[in-house]
This record gives sequence, structure tokens and C-alpha cells, in this order.
Amino acid sequence: MNYNALTQRYFDAAPTAGVLEGTDVHRGASGHRAQGTWVQFDLRIDAGIIRSARFLCFGCPHTIAVSAWVAEQGVGTALRAALRAASRAALPESVLDLSRRFAVPVEKRGRLLIIEDAWIAALRCAAAQTAH
Amino acid sequence: MSRPVYLDYAATTPVDPRVAAAMAQCLTAEGDFGNPASASHEYGEAAAARVAKARAQVAAAVGAEPQDVVWTSGATEANNLAIFGVAEYYREQGRHIVTARTEHKAVLDPCRELERRGWRVTYLVPDAGGILRPEQIAAALQPDTVLVSIMHVNNEIGVIQDIAALGAICAAHGAWLHVDAAQSVGKCAVAFAEFGVDLMSLSAHKVYGPKGVGALLLSGRGRAEKVHLRALQFGGGQERGMRAGTVATHQVVGMGLAFEMAAPAAPEESQRIAGLREQLWQGLAGLGGVFRNGDPRHSVPHVLNVSFADVEGESLLAAIRGQLAVSTGSACTSALQEPSYVLRALGRDDQLSESSLRFGLGRFSSETDIETAVAVVGGAVTRLRRVGGR
Repeated sequence: MNYNALTQRYFDAAPTAGVLEGTDVHRGASGHRAQGTWVQFDLRIDAGIIRSARFLCFGCPHTIAVSAWVAEQGVGTALRAALRAASRAALPESVLDLSRRFAVPVEKRGRLLIIEDAWIAALRCAAAQTAH
Repeated sequence: MSRPVYLDYAATTPVDPRVAAAMAQCLTAEGDFGNPASASHEYGEAAAARVAKARAQVAAAVGAEPQDVVWTSGATEANNLAIFGVAEYYREQGRHIVTARTEHKAVLDPCRELERRGWRVTYLVPDAGGILRPEQIAAALQPDTVLVSIMHVNNEIGVIQDIAALGAICAAHGAWLHVDAAQSVGKCAVAFAEFGVDLMSLSAHKVYGPKGVGALLLSGRGRAEKVHLRALQFGGGQERGMRAGTVATHQVVGMGLAFEMAAPAAPEESQRIAGLREQLWQGLAGLGGVFRNGDPRHSVPHVLNVSFADVEGESLLAAIRGQLAVSTGSACTSALQEPSYVLRALGRDDQLSESSLRFGLGRFSSETDIETAVAVVGGAVTRLRRVGGR
């Protein structure tokens, strides 16, 4: 399997891999390790803005690279705006655009939906907890 | 830029320079380039003598007679010729074949094709270590079983089957025994006649010979009749009509010399390789969550197959690429990786079957190579587990 330069860079570096700690951190996950793909996002929200994000991923290089990019690009997004978009495209970029940007083969595009589900789960967790 | 450390000798080996030199003597105008079937002039005679010598070298390396050797393009063609050839020739005597789930695709796919054509095939499941018990073979034989096809050394996990025991069972029953021995020569003792094998597939490029040449050994000695085949290709009558086509002198000369140099494998070389394999295993086992595939008590020293828990297979391969050349048992069908069918047959779950690496050690493997492999794989596994939250 060959990967484009962007996929290779984000897979190799995985700059946003890890977890966040604190009461202002909100977590969402999707997928199953036993089925080959699992993704988790931690979001730190301050004043309704995503201030930092981290991810964990058990998956192929495309899934790791896209998860890392999403966690990086999602910083600075307003939580409410992201939630309003959630029914259409919660990620910083649509699944189709991401699949083009990272040259994700058609057979693997379902894995990008798992990333999207994990991101939405983290947004919803943040929305639910910050509403109280 | 330095090339990756090569630990994929079970996939193929570099051609030995002496083999390459011998092959080159059969190619150009100054050499023995004649058609070995051209008996009317000295060019053909010289080439025929080269082919005869190669036939004797291959036979001697595996305990066979020169007349047992039928040249093919490799072990895959030899397997196809053996399986289809026997099945078609003896189709009126029976249409049942016995093989194992852990065979190479070059055996399994012909068997699947025969099933489509109306034959019945029994696929035996080995134990967790990859070993077939002779009683399993005996129990699988049916009155109309015409062929048993079992590999000698498994290409993925390196385990050695007790072929001599199988030979006795098949002979007593009257079924022909075919053995894919592509991975055996130079790694463990191969004794075609002594094992009681009727057909054996061989390959040159696993033992520092060229790609594109192999052989099918045919015998049936000790039986009431010799084994017969229905040929799969026609046109020229070469190889006693069993494999038509001009014999590629340079290829068979390369195979003959490679086999002569490979067998018998020097005990000290086997010990050296076994020592490297143990060094590799100990280094990898230290990572934790590492599982050895195949029974190490019954395997060639050249192969180590391990699975890594909590690591996704494709990511593992991508992480070591560029630094280490190894194989995975998992197959890429389109863009998706599928778990190794061999490891699944041994009872490994999908994750471990997909995250396996096969290290193939060879003549040029060194301690430094092993240290590099341990460092590269260790670093990749640790990083991927951290990214995966484990």
C-alpha cells in the first residue's frame, strides 16, 4: 500500500496523539478494536471554543493520519457552530474532501465515518456537560 | 540512502554470484546457448549436457533420481501440474483429494478449481502449532481418494510436517502423495525416495537460484505402478511429454548449481541461523504481547512468525517500511488487508492473524541485522500501542 505525502507525514508524526486531563476535557469514541478500527477524541473547551484536542486510534495509517489532522485542525472551532454542522459535516472538512486530501481508497472510506462519529461524540459530550 | 535490512529470505533469495556466472555461460554466442533438444549439432549437445548435469544435481540434492525430474517454471506450476495432472489422469478411479488449510495458495487454488469441476476435497486443520498428525491423514482417506497434497515446510510459519509418516499411510491406502517442498531445500533434510513421496514440487529462487524455474519430481517407486499425469500443455514433447516447451538451459543450470550448493545444509550454518532466530525472538518477546506462531520444536531455523497484540497490521507494516523488508501473512485484497488464513487455521483471532510478521533469515543475515530488526519493530510497536492508547 502506498500513501500520499500528507498521510505519511501525519501517520509518522501523529502530532496530536494522546489524551487530555481535567474537568474541562470531554471525550468521545467510536468503532471497535476487534473490528479493526477504534478512534477516541479528547476536547478541551474554554468559553465555548475548542482550545486543544487529542486523539487515540487503533487503525490503519489512513485512519491514524486523518484522526491526527482532525484533532489539529479542529482547534479554534466554536462548539456551537460545530454542533450545528454535526448533522451535515462536523469535521473540519467533509469525509469526501478528507478522503481526497489523504488519498483514502474507496474501500476504506467507512473508516472516516468512524472518525466523524468519534468527533461528534466528543462534541456532544462537551455540549451536554457544559450545558449543566 | 541505505537499503532496508532484508529479512524476507522465505519470499526469495538473491542469486548466488556463482550461480549467476554459470547461467551467463548459457546465454551468449560464446556460451552453450543451443537448444538442448537439438540433437543434430554440437550446440544442442552442449546445452543438453548442461541440462543433464543440472538434472543430476537437483536429483542428488533431494534424494531422487535424475529421471524423476520434470522442469517447470517454478513451484506453482509444479503444484498445478501435480494436482491437475493426477486428478485428470485418475479421474475414473476416484475424485477425492486430501490437503490442509495451511497449504500455499498454489495448492489450495487448484484444489478449489477441482471442486468447481466436481471433485471433493478434504481440508485438514492442523493443531495450534501448525502440525498435522498422521492419524488425521489416515482418517481423511476415503475409498476414492486419489491424491494427498501436503507441504513439507510451511512458507508462513516454517513448521515441518512428518512426510515420511504420511508417505507410509498413503502408500498403504493407494493414494498418491504430493509434497510441496519449495521451502525445504537447504533448510532441512529432503529425501524424496526415502520419504515415500510420489510427487514433489521444488523451486530454485528460495535457495539462491533464479526465479522462473522449478521442478516436479515424479516417482511412485515401490508401488505396483509409477505415478502418471495428464499433461497440462502440449507442443514439442519435452520432459517426456509432461511439460512441453523448450527447456531454458540457463535457468535449469542455475537451479542445478544452487541445489548442489544448498544441500546438505551445513550444520554450523543451521546453528548460526537458529541462533539469530532465537536472538530475534528474545528481543521481540521482551516487548510483551508478542505471540510466536508455529511450533518451534518442529520448524526450520530460517523462519520466525510472530503476532503483536494491540497493533493494527497495516500500520505495523507501514511503520517499519523503509527500514526492514519482511513479509506479513495477511493478504492485501484491493486496499484492505485480510488476516492470514494460515494463522486463522491455527486458531489465532483476526487481530493477531492480521498483525503478524514473518522474518525469513538467510545466508547473509547477521547479528547486526537482528539488532536492527528488534529496534525497528520494537519502536514501531511501542509507538503504535501508544497512539492506540495501550
